[in-house]
Amino acid sequence: MNNEQSLIYNQLFEIKGGNFIDAGSASVNVKKTLKLIGIPSEIIYRVSICCYEAEMNIIMYAYRATLDFSITPDKIVLKFNDEGPGIKDIELAMKEGYSTATSEMREMGFGAGMGLPNIKMNSDEFYIESEENKGTNLFIGIFIDRKTDNHDKSEEIA
Amino acid sequence: MKMTIEEIVKILDCTKLTRDEDLLVRDISLCFASDLMSDVLRFGKAETLLLTGITNNQVLQVAEIMDLKGIIFVRGKKPDENIIKKAEERKLPLLTTNKSLFDTCGILYQNGLREGVKI
Repeated sequence: MNNEQSLIYNQLFEIKGGNFIDAGSASVNVKKTLKLIGIPSEIIYRVSICCYEAEMNIIMYAYRATLDFSITPDKIVLKFNDEGPGIKDIELAMKEGYSTATSEMREMGFGAGMGLPNIKMNSDEFYIESEENKGTNLFIGIFIDRKTDNHDKSEEIA
Repeated sequence: MKMTIEEIVKILDCTKLTRDEDLLVRDISLCFASDLMSDVLRFGKAETLLLTGITNNQVLQVAEIMDLKGIIFVRGKKPDENIIKKAEERKLPLLTTNKSLFDTCGILYQNGLREGVKI
């Protein structure tokens, strides 16, 4: 399939590492776009969580990054490519609770070691590659029509 | 069980930080309590009321991502004026109470509200 032809929407964001003031603004923009296009809310919720977790990882650890956000008829794709210290041991970073966060990051309410596992849990496609002292590439794909088993919307309690 | 934000203001003796009175009729049935935003993102459900002691800008971003219905800052914490302004623009009610996180949760639970958690 020709990806160019099937693209509904594409936007490129630049994210600066250490920029805690604007942290999360790319994700908030992505969410707004998905809402405008009329993507179902449970899909928006999963994309937003993945996007925000990945954006915060860049803010906390990387120097700079690009986010390539695209929508095709069947899926939403977030591609993060960062320049930074990279991840030494991806297997370890994928474990819930493992974190290399500083106390400053923890004071902000982050660095619980839940980020990458949470992205994996909320995505349908998840690929990560990293080179130490160079950077990390993250591919996140979320299908638009798939039933979202792992998303549990708020239920009313009688 | 549901409560409006206005009713919650009364039972927790909250101070309203945002000025939009229209938002106080919003119904709340589920809450999530944490100072760890990572845990809110991982374990919290969408559209809950968040109880927290964290007052930085990231709480607002998490609220936007998670479609939170409101935030109660516990232990008398209060965010900066610019955060309150941003919350007003986003129609997100912010409250503060002098009660601890433990007491706040206990009182809301006693009044029928439950935890919005995904395992």
